[in-house]
Amino acid sequence: MKPTLFIALAAAALVLGCAKEQTRYGDARAVETMTNQFGSTDLQLMAESMARSMLQAPVIAAANLPVVTVQEVRNKTSEYIDTRAITDSIRAELQKGGRVRFAVDQAGMNPQVEELKRQQGGLYAKETAAEMGQMVGAQYRLEGNIISIVKQVKDAKDVYYKLNLQLWNIRNGLLEWSDEKEIRKTTTKG
Amino acid sequence: MTRTHLISAVLTAALAAGCATKKGFEKPGFAFGCPIGETKVGSMEDLVRAKTLSEGRRTTIQATEMRCSQTGDLLRIDANLNNDSRSVKRIAYKFRWIDREGMRAWEEESWKPLMIYESSNLVINTISPTNKAVDFRLILRSEE
Repeated sequence: MKPTLFIALAAAALVLGCAKEQTRYGDARAVETMTNQFGSTDLQLMAESMARSMLQAPVIAAANLPVVTVQEVRNKTSEYIDTRAITDSIRAELQKGGRVRFAVDQAGMNPQVEELKRQQGGLYAKETAAEMGQMVGAQYRLEGNIISIVKQVKDAKDVYYKLNLQLWNIRNGLLEWSDEKEIRKTTTKG
Repeated sequence: MTRTHLISAVLTAALAAGCATKKGFEKPGFAFGCPIGETKVGSMEDLVRAKTLSEGRRTTIQATEMRCSQTGDLLRIDANLNNDSRSVKRIAYKFRWIDREGMRAWEEESWKPLMIYESSNLVINTISPTNKAVDFRLILRSEE
């Protein structure tokens, strides 16, 4: 019996060893349900839903290319979420649609000022160097929160996400637009 | 102009106006507010058939109604999806945006997962991402 067992194990090892690893490209916009953690589909759903909703806000629809700056989306969930990726996607969609202009935000301010200083440093021709004091101030600021509620029992885990975004008028402090996107995902075993 | 001529002219105008009110309350090339181009659409079924596509695994979920309206220069769409089966169905959908030349007006949208309870309807709605999008298709696939 021992030699048979040995041969079987050797054969299994051979098969496993020969199993080819395969890498294929997939659809980046497919519904992803590998786990119930925040994933690509959630990011895409939130960004698209919020951008389309914002397009209908009177200050965006009626105004002539309003200038918006993106502030923080606070992550109040229990997991790591790159909230910058959500606002970057929203910004890309709105910018591509040609409805909104975006002013440099806090995160981009340092490189912006550095570049301005570099151009004013005497290395560039005066007529091509960007002047100081010409940056455009934003009329609106975009900020928000993402929260999650997680419930787990033995064989099931339920995750609820809610993204809330707000567009504030910087001059008068009025809330010009706000919307929410909710997502629920449930994972069951067996 | 004689009196008879005047009466007949008024009657013709009234008839034309009456017909226009009954038949032509929509712009040519539109049905239920939705752009249809040259496609012949005589009913809601025709419109839904013209605007809905299936990709990937087919689903038994059917679009049963579709209405569009213009919000500024953007197209707003409401589509009613019906699950007439006795079980919960999971599907994914996306809209495809088409420009005046029949080309894609926007990059392919992400698939949006959706759960529809048994024997029920669900209205999905969207707005075109750009004013270059003058037509659309609703694409459905099963996620079961």
